[in-house]
Amino acid sequence: MAALGVLDSANLNGGQKLAVKYFAVSVALFGAQVLFGLLAGLQYLNPEFLFGILDFSVNRMVHVNAMVVWLLFGFIGSVYWLLEDESGVPVVGLGFGNLIFWIFTLAVVVVVLVYLLVQVGPGEKSSIWLINEGREYIEAPRWADIGIVVCVLGFFYNVAATFMKGKITGIGGVLLFDLIALAGLYLAGMWFTPNISMDQHWWWWVIHLWVEATWEVLVGCLMAYGLIKTMGVRRKIVETWLYIEVALMFGSGILGLGHHYFWIGTPEYWFTIGGFFSALEPIPLVAMVVHALFDAGHHKLKSNNNPALGWIIGQAFGNFFGAGVWGFMHTLPQINLYTHGTQWTASHGHLAFFGAYVTMVIAFFYIAVQKWRGNVWMSGNLVGAWKWKWAMFLLWAGMITMTMALLIAGYEQSQIERAIGGSDWMAYFAAQAHRWFTQAMVWRQVGGWMFALGFVLLVWDLMTIGKRETRSTYVIEPEMAKAAV
Amino acid sequence: MAETQTQALWWASESFWRKMAIWVTAGSFVVLIFLTFDTVKQITAGGKRVPAYSVINHRVDYVFDEERNFQVPVIGPEEPLFGKKLTEDEAEALVSKGKLTTQAKNCMGCHTLLGNGSYYAPDLTKSWLDPSWGSKEVREQSMVEFLMDPTDKLHNAIGRRMPNLGITEAEARATVAFLKWMSAIDTNGFPTNFQPIDQADAAPEVAVEAAPAVEVAAPVQQ
Amino acid sequence: MIEPVKLADFFIVFFSAASVIMFGATYALLFAWSRMRNRPRLMPLAYLGYVGLFISVIVLGVHANLFNSTFWTVIVLLMLLGYLVAPQAIWHLCVGTHADEHEPDPEHVKVFQQR
Repeated sequence: MAALGVLDSANLNGGQKLAVKYFAVSVALFGAQVLFGLLAGLQYLNPEFLFGILDFSVNRMVHVNAMVVWLLFGFIGSVYWLLEDESGVPVVGLGFGNLIFWIFTLAVVVVVLVYLLVQVGPGEKSSIWLINEGREYIEAPRWADIGIVVCVLGFFYNVAATFMKGKITGIGGVLLFDLIALAGLYLAGMWFTPNISMDQHWWWWVIHLWVEATWEVLVGCLMAYGLIKTMGVRRKIVETWLYIEVALMFGSGILGLGHHYFWIGTPEYWFTIGGFFSALEPIPLVAMVVHALFDAGHHKLKSNNNPALGWIIGQAFGNFFGAGVWGFMHTLPQINLYTHGTQWTASHGHLAFFGAYVTMVIAFFYIAVQKWRGNVWMSGNLVGAWKWKWAMFLLWAGMITMTMALLIAGYEQSQIERAIGGSDWMAYFAAQAHRWFTQAMVWRQVGGWMFALGFVLLVWDLMTIGKRETRSTYVIEPEMAKAAV
Repeated sequence: MAETQTQALWWASESFWRKMAIWVTAGSFVVLIFLTFDTVKQITAGGKRVPAYSVINHRVDYVFDEERNFQVPVIGPEEPLFGKKLTEDEAEALVSKGKLTTQAKNCMGCHTLLGNGSYYAPDLTKSWLDPSWGSKEVREQSMVEFLMDPTDKLHNAIGRRMPNLGITEAEARATVAFLKWMSAIDTNGFPTNFQPIDQADAAPEVAVEAAPAVEVAAPVQQ
Repeated sequence: MIEPVKLADFFIVFFSAASVIMFGATYALLFAWSRMRNRPRLMPLAYLGYVGLFISVIVLGVHANLFNSTFWTVIVLLMLLGYLVAPQAIWHLCVGTHADEHEPDPEHVKVFQQR
């Protein structure tokens, strides 16, 4: 047994050894997202910055793609993290899992290098096969699409086979089901059509049904595991609530797809479907917050991993504000007509992705480093606790600053460009030149720098937290023992 | 008391919610599948909402519709793109090439199309009808020239420019075809209050046709 | 089908929509808090939250022109009703799912069950 507080892979089980590899790449890509976000933000302030070298389109593409991939890596890592624990047996194909990890990572590196060095291609099929597909969030070229599906299926095989060999817990069952949907939905975005309405119709299947349905449920599984681990909440309760959330999330989220079908050529009946299910979508989020409070009241916020718990609590609130409040503010078609495709969307997107997903993955990073250092103490009076607290504060403050700035910009844009100007070229630039907009962009950049600082601190903290601790964490597992599976 | 409560709470039990989760998900998904069949049928090119690709042989306008209470695309008299009338197949090939170009050049990295994409440059949904192209006579050529070498052209007062993406003339023409076709999609009135470029013919007989264009100005925001 | 919001009403629509969700959460949380801590005096505050929600929904309905069509009016009514019951249902689920949690400590359970 390694000394307490030393990063030693002997502290980890097989799946967890693989998980920390995924986490490492995940953090690196998180850094790339922040970096390219900063560059893109600077181009709003100074359009000549890197013009013709790294154009906005390139920076923005890397910014959003890095996000999708780092969260995906974070999710995969988190699943490998809990896999042996949940199933009770070692990962069935660990070598295979490692192979997939290296292929996946290599593919991501190649894709990013091509984005940065080749950037665009001729208007031929070969370009979308080899360079980029030019479709927001899923720009990855077709070869990489196929690679992603193969990797995710390989990952799925590993998870499924491990659960089958061991025991399928409630969390495991939901996870398996969700991963099939996740891989299957990606296929909807993998074909070329000249028909942009058809294109975007299926494109939303991937984007919406990932982000507002399957990712939410995946995070629900991680949250369930996280609550058992950090607070010792009874498995039966956690799993019941996981099912409740699945029912509510999928019940409102699947047909909530309708709110993306207002303006892309799809029929008018989507107004009604989108409107109705958008009104339902906040309910699971409120349920989660209430239940979190209820739980907290029971457990008096006693946890063995304060940073992870802090980020998990942040998840409940971030998801509520980002997806719930920010989503509902502009989702009804009567107002969405003006906010669609403005910085409103950017404001909502930033807060929702951060609140719902980034928080959860960061919580898992902390759960991971704790065990990696031999179950080191991470509760009250932690040595060097200022780092995680300041990292958390700066990341949140930066994100809120960005969100608010973008909200103001979007509000102005929806009026000047959309409502008054009629969204033509002149109207667009009239809105972009407006003081509210230009000043908002400055504040967004300020928020971006704060966020970047928070990121640096987070990485530093993840590398050092618990290093100088000599106390071992107390084990929170009494309730686990009772858990019937 | 606690135990009896536990037994009674079927609606709070794990097995009840497991079943609910499955049924709700399956139910929603089945409904979605049915709706998808209908939607896909309605948005297949050649239908009422999404026109056939050969629509680029015609004038496309964007006119307020009293009944539907928003602007809708109106297909006007024959006005072939670049003066050359295309068959349905030729038109599809051209639009398809244009769509490929928009993807290969990652237009969505800066622009929005049908409102989706990035917010660094104007929405392209109705770019074919944008008054900034000057007049209908020079529009096609201006668009092609702009796409091929945008960097030094006048864009706006804030110094934001479109980079040179190495678009060839063939690609530029195809892109224009794609944009013209896209402007004919029925987007339920998005963007609203858009005032299209004047497309009336110089001939006096079409003066009547200009009327709706004026009417578009009527629902201008308060 | 829909009647877009007037320019002058943009702010009030954004604000009331946000208020709907915020008041909804306030109502849900106060409701839960009052029951959980056994503080009936908080309950009127919770319902005050619902009143806020009610007003927000109506304001949203008026300014987003929801009352001009039957369908959207029904949505407004469903929101009023649904957002009234949902927090209570959520609370009952919280209690119900935790019902056997404190078997050795029945007082806790009783607190919830008295209501």
